[in-house]
Amino acid sequence: MTLSLPGADRLPKRKARAPKRPALDTAAGRSLLQALAVIAFFALWETGVRAGWISAFLVGSPLGIFAVAWKMITGGELLADTWFTLFEAILGFVIGTIIGSLLGLALWYSVFVARLVEPFIVAINSVPKIALAPIVVLWFGTGLISKVALSVSLTAIVALIAAYQAAKDADVDLQSLLISMGASKHQVFFKAVVPSTLPAIIATFRINIGFGLVGAVVGEFISSQRGLGHLIYTASSLYDLDTVWAGLFTLMIMGFALYYVIDLIERTSLPWKQASTTHQVQV
Amino acid sequence: MIPAPIQLSVRNVRKSFHGKAGEVRVLDDLSFDINARDFVSIIGPSGCGKTTIFNIIAGLIEPDAGSMHYLGQEIESLRGRVGYMMQKDLLFPWRTVLGNVLLGLETRGVDRIEAEGKAREYLKAFGLGGFENAYPKMLSGGMRQRVALIRTLIMDPDILLLDEPFSALDYQTRLYLEGVLKEAVETYHKTVILVTHDIDEAVALSKRVVVLSGRPARAKIVHDIDIAAASPIAARSDSRFSGYFHALCAELDIQTEKTT
Ligand SMILES: Nc1ncnc2c1ncn2[C@@H]1O[C@H](COP(=O)(O)OP(=O)(O)OP(=O)(O)O)[C@@H](O)[C@H]1O
Ligand SMILES: [Mg+2]
Repeated sequence: MTLSLPGADRLPKRKARAPKRPALDTAAGRSLLQALAVIAFFALWETGVRAGWISAFLVGSPLGIFAVAWKMITGGELLADTWFTLFEAILGFVIGTIIGSLLGLALWYSVFVARLVEPFIVAINSVPKIALAPIVVLWFGTGLISKVALSVSLTAIVALIAAYQAAKDADVDLQSLLISMGASKHQVFFKAVVPSTLPAIIATFRINIGFGLVGAVVGEFISSQRGLGHLIYTASSLYDLDTVWAGLFTLMIMGFALYYVIDLIERTSLPWKQASTTHQVQV
Repeated sequence: MIPAPIQLSVRNVRKSFHGKAGEVRVLDDLSFDINARDFVSIIGPSGCGKTTIFNIIAGLIEPDAGSMHYLGQEIESLRGRVGYMMQKDLLFPWRTVLGNVLLGLETRGVDRIEAEGKAREYLKAFGLGGFENAYPKMLSGGMRQRVALIRTLIMDPDILLLDEPFSALDYQTRLYLEGVLKEAVETYHKTVILVTHDIDEAVALSKRVVVLSGRPARAKIVHDIDIAAASPIAARSDSRFSGYFHALCAELDIQTEKTT
């Protein structure tokens, strides 16, 4: 009997060394394509309005939005509203994340207390917190505090659950090693548990910065004299779609900028994680 | 020869775990003695309870029964006084090499400057000078294990508990680190208990080898290894090496036949 080996044709073919990439797959190329897509979108929209295919009254028009935005920028209102909303969102995000993370971490200390409050945490988390907005305004008034409070209620629970889960998942062997060295419970907490929860806590920043903005804007919808939420709400009640869009695009730019700030924090705050993430497996 | 005093004595220790499949008796009436400046290897079938013994000595778990004596005094455990190197290297990923080495001294509250000076000295002595600020992720397996060894030694523990410290390494690195360990133990006059699956390693390094039976673990037999070689590599070419090696193999083989 002859020895049968798999035919070479059944094995994967040798590929060229460098995988072929589209010519535009460079940083500049991608930016160019993205810019073109945006321009095309607005051009189509403007053309549609001009040609009467879509109603300028119901959807607004890019040139109209631009004109309104320009007027509000030069008048200074847009910037003032932007700062106000941004301030509320960041304040809510920071306070909520700190309170939530601290509470979540503290639950590590007592398994008894943690088990006791777990169902309550789940219950609180399952309430759509936006539904609290009217009460929050009732309690904290129509100023800054009510928006911050709403943002805190949204962000704190996310941070709490993430921090608590990460603390529970912290490597038991690292903790055992410290205990064998004679470490106290506090030392185990600060040397093993807290550092191992940081990646999970920082990962919530991305979600929570969005929730911070949601809290601020919804708070402003309910009642406010300032902020982008207030701008959008009042403009839409007047069917002033161009102003609504100007506010929305400003919010989008703000969210975008915040996202990159968070991304930067994520990348610089955990240098020990970096070494591994520079490579991506080529599939 | 004057017999060395008994440093650690483990008497009639029992331990069972309660799992889904019912009670698992891991240690059943286990007793053994460790002399001062001893180098004892423990070999035995996988899952027989070697790590459990270490966890009891280190005070991570409590035995169901039995006692331990340290230099004649009854003790609860050696928590805080052992240098425990676990089966994994367990370097803290968020700490640099220096930070990892400092861990034990930090928990003891040693003055920072003094501790750092000592840590740098040790790192240099073990050929890791220049890697102080590297994160564990960037090190090779052998380097990580060396850092873990330094972290264990720098605390000046009464007894070193080494749980298969080199099992994940390639043969060359293992030989090299065995030499590093042997030298360090002699320099710092340490008592060592080493768990290993590698009979060859046990014979080359130890003064005595304890053979454990399968679960529940009992000390079946203790072999004195009478090789006075300068290094673990030299020990392997000693004329008595293969005699010990085969005696221990036979010991383990008999047990695997019995337990299967
Ligand atoms: N926390 C635990 N709960 C339940 N069973 C356990 C626990 N720890 C260990 N065991 C069981 O006890 C037995 C001995 O475990 P141990 O880790 O001491 O073995 P070992 O001799 O170190 O094995 P190996 O050589 O593979 O490392 C195993 O059967 C294991 O399943
Ligand atoms: Mg083990």
